[in-house]
Amino acid sequence: MTSTAPTTTHTILRAEGFSCPSCVSKIEKRVGRLDGVSDVTVHFASARVEVDHDESVVSVDELVAEVAKAGYSSRPATF
Amino acid sequence: MSTLHSWMNNRWIIPTISGLLIIAALIVLGLSPAGTVGNTVGDITMIAAAVVAGTRIVLSAIRALGARIIGIDLLVSVAAIGAIIIGQYWEAAAVTFLFAIGHALETATLNKTRSALAELIAVAPDVAIVMRDGQQVEVAAGAVIMGETVLVKNGSKVPVDGEVSGGTGSLDEASITGESMPVEKLIGDRVFAGTIARSGFLQVRATGVGADTTLAKIIHRVEDAQDAKAKTQVFMDRFSAWYTPAIMILALVVGVWTGDVVLALTLLVIGCPGALVISIPVSIVAGIGRAAKDGILIKGGEFLETSAKISVVAVDKTGTLTMGRPQLTDVVVLDGSMTREQVLTWAARAEAGSEHPLARAILDAAASEGLSVTGLPESTEPVPGKGIAVGTDGHRILIGNLALLAQYKISSSDELTRAVNELARVGQTPMIVAVDGAVAGIIGVADEVRADAAQMVADLHAAGVKRVIMLTGDSRLVAEAIGAVTGVDEIHTSLLPEDKLDIVAALQAEGHIVAMVGDGVNDAPALATANIGVAMGAAGSAVAVETADIALMGDNLLKLPEAISLARRTVSNMRQNIAIALITVLLLLLGVFLGGVTMSIGMLVHEASVLIVIVNAMRLMRRHRSSRVTPTTPTPPLQNAHHEHRTKLFVQ
Repeated sequence: MTSTAPTTTHTILRAEGFSCPSCVSKIEKRVGRLDGVSDVTVHFASARVEVDHDESVVSVDELVAEVAKAGYSSRPATF
Repeated sequence: MSTLHSWMNNRWIIPTISGLLIIAALIVLGLSPAGTVGNTVGDITMIAAAVVAGTRIVLSAIRALGARIIGIDLLVSVAAIGAIIIGQYWEAAAVTFLFAIGHALETATLNKTRSALAELIAVAPDVAIVMRDGQQVEVAAGAVIMGETVLVKNGSKVPVDGEVSGGTGSLDEASITGESMPVEKLIGDRVFAGTIARSGFLQVRATGVGADTTLAKIIHRVEDAQDAKAKTQVFMDRFSAWYTPAIMILALVVGVWTGDVVLALTLLVIGCPGALVISIPVSIVAGIGRAAKDGILIKGGEFLETSAKISVVAVDKTGTLTMGRPQLTDVVVLDGSMTREQVLTWAARAEAGSEHPLARAILDAAASEGLSVTGLPESTEPVPGKGIAVGTDGHRILIGNLALLAQYKISSSDELTRAVNELARVGQTPMIVAVDGAVAGIIGVADEVRADAAQMVADLHAAGVKRVIMLTGDSRLVAEAIGAVTGVDEIHTSLLPEDKLDIVAALQAEGHIVAMVGDGVNDAPALATANIGVAMGAAGSAVAVETADIALMGDNLLKLPEAISLARRTVSNMRQNIAIALITVLLLLLGVFLGGVTMSIGMLVHEASVLIVIVNAMRLMRRHRSSRVTPTTPTPPLQNAHHEHRTKLFVQ
């Protein structure tokens, strides 16, 4: 019996601008705890959040909402 | 409901409410003598102000503790809560209010330092007009299919990277190359996504879409560069990681030792490393952003720091100091029985079919003079470092230098040697043509020196570079001629690629920080060895954009000294910021121990220092008026030859 591997989507979110360096780990922990997220990296200076996730379990909108709960509004970007 | 949500997220709401409460509390307290109800109301209002401003700070500190981080928020929270406990309501309110408003101001100004990157992202095109089934269809820019024909109309943004397949127009390529002069585009020319059509109408065949466009690569480069930690910053991060807990312990020790809780709490406030933490990243973001606007891509803070220390710039002659397109300049006839055209025809027949730049010069010249050269040689034998020996139509033709003649046992005369040296002395590469064992003549080929090469060398010196060195595989006489025109300090000639690497390594062994400018093809080893590898005209090469330490997007030589000057200013800016941060803390510490500095004053001065650091970094974003140095060119015989062709420094 073969199990289908989950397809990972790489999403880049661009936020308005992080002003405190400690926000990096806060956002990483919040987003990392979501079901379906396999990896998350937050870049402080360029205000980007890169997430590897299974789109069928957690959508891009849900990622945006989670980042918003940490206090930052963000939008998905094409590159 | 959403407007309420966005209203609540507005960064100015909380400081405003807190500030108003403080003012109200001060008024009530001022009107009520101690012990009365009014006094209590005033105190409660003050506490309310502290709670309004401080709640977010405390929550943030708790979340940080959850991530096992001791940050500034914790320092301020403990100080504020401690102040309330000991009854210093005004101090608690002032500290939290100032921190909140300072935070709002910082975010606003920090975003300004990121404006260069934000502008680049804004330049990214959203829509494209493509031809599908003969119809003009508007699609998302990222949805264009490779190879599709895209229409670029006057005034619109080019949505994809591509090649012009029809029409003409001029494009403003400032967002890619940093040059604001519009560039004429004809069929076959390359265009970039994110540039703006200033006139005309173009049909473009898409070669790069979405994340594959040069613009996307530039944005990635800038983001990665702004994220990358400079060496100084890595040190700073480690420093603040133990610094903040150390401040808490120090405050605790002082408080227990002196029994003065106020002193301990004030120390907490003063110890906030806010300005220190932000001092380096903010300068790097501003510096890299400014560079990107000028078409200079620097790989990161570490490369900025290294670029500021460059003491030697090694420049590959061909393609950098010269145009890289050799052209025929002279035909010297030595065989009395031949005409100029015949010598040229023999040379062209020997070089037919060759792609070598020197061969192209001969073939192009022959074609433009209408000399017919048909067919290819039967045999071609290249002799490395000397030339070629060709057999065609039963004749044996040699094209090369004196060493080639010697190898084929053709005797050279004094007249020949003199003529060869004469050409080389004025900067031409002499190619001796010998037909069937007898010298026919010499072809002179020269690579035009770039008009601003001399200016670039002068600007490099002005930017603090001690030595500018020319590296070339060409012969000494030719190189010396070009060196004299451009004003370089040193010339190394007749080099093979590994020789270039050796020279770079030798300079580094002497203690120099070396930057190397090259075309990346045969300079790859030397470029990799140099401290800073510089690629020019990088807009055309995805590899260069992604790997060069400094990528100059356009073809403008003067961007290199500009890049070095910008790097120096950025590093100096970083140092200024660190100094501001440290001096502020020291002065505050002095003030606390000498008396007179309270918690509120400490927070006020701290926030002011953070803002000063950010505003100082913003100075880097301004357009810099660098002093132009007029190049001092010595006067060899060359000067007389081109007083007619001032701008076109054609070495004749």
